[in-house]
This record gives sequence, structure tokens and C-alpha cells, in this order.
Amino acid sequence: MEAILKRNRLGQWITELQERAEIYAPDFVEDTWEFAKVGRGATVELNHSNTVRPAKRFVFPQREVLYRFRIENSQSPKLTDTEPKVESTVVFGVRPCDGRAMVRNDRVFTCGFSDPYYQARHDNVVFVGLACNAPPSQNCFCVSVGGSPHSEDGLDVLMTELDGRYHVKALTDKGSDIVRSAGDLFQDVKAADMDDVGNAHAIALEYSQRSISSMEAVAAALRRNFDSPIWDKLARACIGCGACTYLCPSCHCFDINDEVTNKSPLTGARVRTWDNCQFPDFTMHSSGHNPREDTGARLRQRICHKLLYFVETHNMQQCTGCGRCITHCPVGIDIVKIANVMEEGVWQ
Amino acid sequence: MSENVYLPQLARIVHIKDEVPGARAIKTFRVEFMNGGGFDHEPGQCAMISVFGKGESMISIASAPTITDYKQFSIMRSGRVTTAIHDMKVGDVIGVRGPYGNKFPVSDWKGRNLVFIGGGCGLAPIWPVIQTAVANRMDFDKITVFYGGRTSRDIMYAAELEKLRGQADVHLSIDSPEEGWEGYCGFVPANVMDKPQRPDNAIAITCGPPIMIKFVISNLREMGFADEQIYTTIENKMKCGIGKCGRCNVGTDYVCVKGPVYSWAQLKSLPQEY
Repeated sequence: MEAILKRNRLGQWITELQERAEIYAPDFVEDTWEFAKVGRGATVELNHSNTVRPAKRFVFPQREVLYRFRIENSQSPKLTDTEPKVESTVVFGVRPCDGRAMVRNDRVFTCGFSDPYYQARHDNVVFVGLACNAPPSQNCFCVSVGGSPHSEDGLDVLMTELDGRYHVKALTDKGSDIVRSAGDLFQDVKAADMDDVGNAHAIALEYSQRSISSMEAVAAALRRNFDSPIWDKLARACIGCGACTYLCPSCHCFDINDEVTNKSPLTGARVRTWDNCQFPDFTMHSSGHNPREDTGARLRQRICHKLLYFVETHNMQQCTGCGRCITHCPVGIDIVKIANVMEEGVWQ
Repeated sequence: MSENVYLPQLARIVHIKDEVPGARAIKTFRVEFMNGGGFDHEPGQCAMISVFGKGESMISIASAPTITDYKQFSIMRSGRVTTAIHDMKVGDVIGVRGPYGNKFPVSDWKGRNLVFIGGGCGLAPIWPVIQTAVANRMDFDKITVFYGGRTSRDIMYAAELEKLRGQADVHLSIDSPEEGWEGYCGFVPANVMDKPQRPDNAIAITCGPPIMIKFVISNLREMGFADEQIYTTIENKMKCGIGKCGRCNVGTDYVCVKGPVYSWAQLKSLPQEY
């Protein structure tokens, strides 16, 4: 389902959707681009490049109560709030790299054991993507990992900005629903509109991005170099801050801990929070033994998980080329550079 | 919404047995599910134990799969959760979710000699296999059990091991000589070397401290055991138990799902990161 929305009608579409859902869109909040809740009557511009934090938090929040527990007078524990509470949400301005990351997140959270918290959020969120027309940011490399500036994967709707209007393409039932529900705001797509969409997409692909020439060669090199001393060298500057994985749209590792709010009667919540493979205690046994005991082993885990293990398990990289881990690394660790070093074997 | 995989079932502690004293004490907890709960398990599988207010810890199920009234867990006092459960008493309630992980392929081993080699707390994960083998004694040829602790006070399941002697060859060891000790003195791998096992038609199952497993496997290889004839388990820190939280992986394998049971042939193909 495809339609045209005049740029000056975007606000009205959002207002109509606010009757049934919380609306989020990128906004410049406290000196940084974030997905922020759109207030009634607020203007949404969709003129961002990309948000600092990815869209994964709408399906996998940074902190989430799994359930609450209470033990009264040494009676049996009572477990409450065991079902995830979610609100219908529509997220505008999701870049295609974050959309493709959702495909990866779906694999992790719904294959094998289904994760009820993720599933509930996933069922109640609509991701409205925005194709990248402008030249890429300095660390974009979506094309090298199989994506594109107008990839539809993992999105419910893809919007492409044209002169004074958007081309709006619904990609799922959820997507069709939010377009159809405001049908009178939209116009039919004409041949000239499709020409403009084709041009916008073609121009976006002509811009140079950073690049990795062969993901197959990188995977083979990673397999070959598991025990290489190169990892210690590559990780020498790492301070283990974990910015790379917290800001990654497809990193899914989490911790589960009990937060006690009252000792007697014992009351608290079992809480899931984002965790990070770059932290030493992520894998440390209670005995003190740590299978990944230095920064080299931990960097190797991050890179291999993204570009080798996930490929072997799910036949796709677990990296969609958004470049956040490069842009925000305080010491300049760079997954593109590492992939190229691996492939070329330049240290040998 | 379908069943919530993160929600534990409540289970009451009905019996606690002190196995090993000391800073790294081992106790065996027998728990009965409440509210008609429960689940079946296979030998080698694990369960996530909850102490509410402290957290969860992955523990191997030490009772035989045929026992449906209760489950047993032999737990070493080590971290936050295991320390908390050591401080619990009969009647207290814990959470249990599972079962998780793969199993020892015991039914594939019919007609074969089984050699069990355990050390320290490592008798617990292989105990349900031993129980399964003994319960179906006619299905197997010779059954041999090696087990060792640092001192005689570190021998877990001491009474059960004595009872086992009727159906299996049991070779116990402690690291250094003690007055009155009639078994072997020395490390577990040395005890195995002292009583060489024939690899023909045999399966060796070993579990214990990583350093013990390393030398046991090396000794078994020296005796002529093929990689496919040696089974062990690996343990890693786990939070979810269902292949999602991302920390227990060895290469592509999440140990909580693909493990904890591996043949040495399988384990050799994984990165040495456990």
C-alpha cells in the first residue's frame, strides 16, 4: 500500500494517531537527537540525521520490571505484575539501519523460547521508517552489510521525503492500519511521484559510504584469527565503557537482578537491564574464573558476534552499519577498520 | 499471552543435607513444587533457581529423572544466590524454572561400559546419569565411578557412593593421605591412570574443576579413548537460561541451550573460551 502525504499534513496525521497511540519522533533534546514523545500539537520536522540512542528501546527497554515479589511473614512469595504492560506506540523517523536491526532483534527474542516482554512490545509498536536521502554520516556503512539507505526490512512503513511531500509505503498490516486510518489525509501515488522516489533512492546510493569489501572474507578471517595476538593490539585503547554496545541497535545482551525496596516484608522486583559484553563481570563466574578475562577477548566477542557468530546462526550480520559504535567510542575503536584489518591480514 | 518463560514456579525446601563443610560448602536441597507445579527433566539438564531478593543462579538437577515427587540440587556456596540458599532452612520457598539445556545421550549408550569421572561438586551433574544407568543396570555392561575430593570431608554423596558399590566399581580418592583412608591418595586424573580403563565399547563421562577435566581428558586420550567417546559438561555464567542474555556463549553456542553436555569431539570444534 502506497500513498502520498503532503509535508504540511504530517502534523495532522500524527494528531490523528495520538488518539490511539503514544507517538515518538526524533527531537533535539538536551543537545542530542533522541526519540522523544510528541506532545499534543507539537511540530515534528523529521530533519534529523540519526538519533544517538537506537530505536531498540521500544521493544527492549533499558530497564524493565519482569515481575514483582513480596514475602509476608515467611509465607509463600507472591509474584505479581507478571505480564508486560505496554502501550500502543508509533515511532516516526526510524532510519533503515535501525529497522534492519529489528529483524536481528526479532531473531534473538522470538526464535526458540519466545520472550513475552519483547513480543508484547513488538506487537504494539509501529515503526515508521524514513529513507536516508541526504549524504551519509561519516561512519555510515549500511551498504557493506547488505542494507541500503532506503531498506524496508524490519519497518512497518517507509517514508521517503520528496519535494514538499512524502511517499509513504506501508509494509506490514500494522503499517497499513495507521495509513488507512487517516486515509483522507493521503493522496494517490502518481507516476511522477514514483519517478521522484526512484531518483531520491538512486541519488542516496551514489554517495560514498565507508566500506568493507567482502563480509564473507571478514567472517573467514575472524574464524581463522580467533587466537591471534591482534585482538590484544586492537583492544589496547579500550577502557571498557560499553558505549559501543549500549548504543548498538541490535545488541541485545541483558542482566537480570532483584531490586529490593523493602526488607520486611521482603518486597521488590526482578528487573531486566541492558548489559554489556565489554564489562569484565559480564562473564565472570562466582569462582573468579572468567572465560573472557581481558579487553582483547571482549572486543573479539563483540566483533565475532556481529560479523561471524550471528552469520553462522542466522545467516545475516548482526550489524546494520549505523556507525554509532564508531562515532561514540571515546578511544576510536572502529568496527569497519577492524573488519578491513582482519580481511587484509595486514598485521601478519 | 503464552506462558512466561521468565516466571519461576514456587518450590518448598523439604530437606537439606550437608555434603561438604567449609567456606565452599556443598549442601543438597530437596524441593517440592507447590500449587501442582513441576516439570520433567533429562539427565544433564539444569534449572534456574531463584532466591527472591537475591536473584537467580543456574544449577544442574542432581536427582534422577524418574523421581517426580521432588527435585534435588547440590549447591556449592559461591556467589550471592548460592550463599543465600545455603542460609535457608526447611520450609523456605524458592523459585525454580526450567528445565534448560541438552542432555547426556544415555539411551545411545546401551550395551556399553560407562566410566564416570567426577571431582568436587562435579559429581552432581553426572549423578542423574549414574542413577539412570543403575536403574537400567541390565542395559549397560560395566559401570565404573571415579570420584575425588580434596580431603575425606570433601567427598559428597558419601553414603550414596557406598551404596553404589553393589552395582558399580567405585574408586574414591583424596588429594593427600589421611589416617583411616582406604581409597586412593592423589588427584582424580592420577587415580584414573592408576586403574587404566579399556576404551573398547566404552563411554567416559567427566565433570569437575576445569583443570581436572583437562587432565582427565588427556589421560583418557592416552588410554585410547576417541574424542567421540568422552563426554563432559561446561558451565558459564547465565542469566536467562534461554539463549538471549548473551553471556554464556562459546563461539556460536549458547551453553544454556546447546550445552551443557558436550562430547570432546564437539567441544574441540568450539573456540577455547570457557
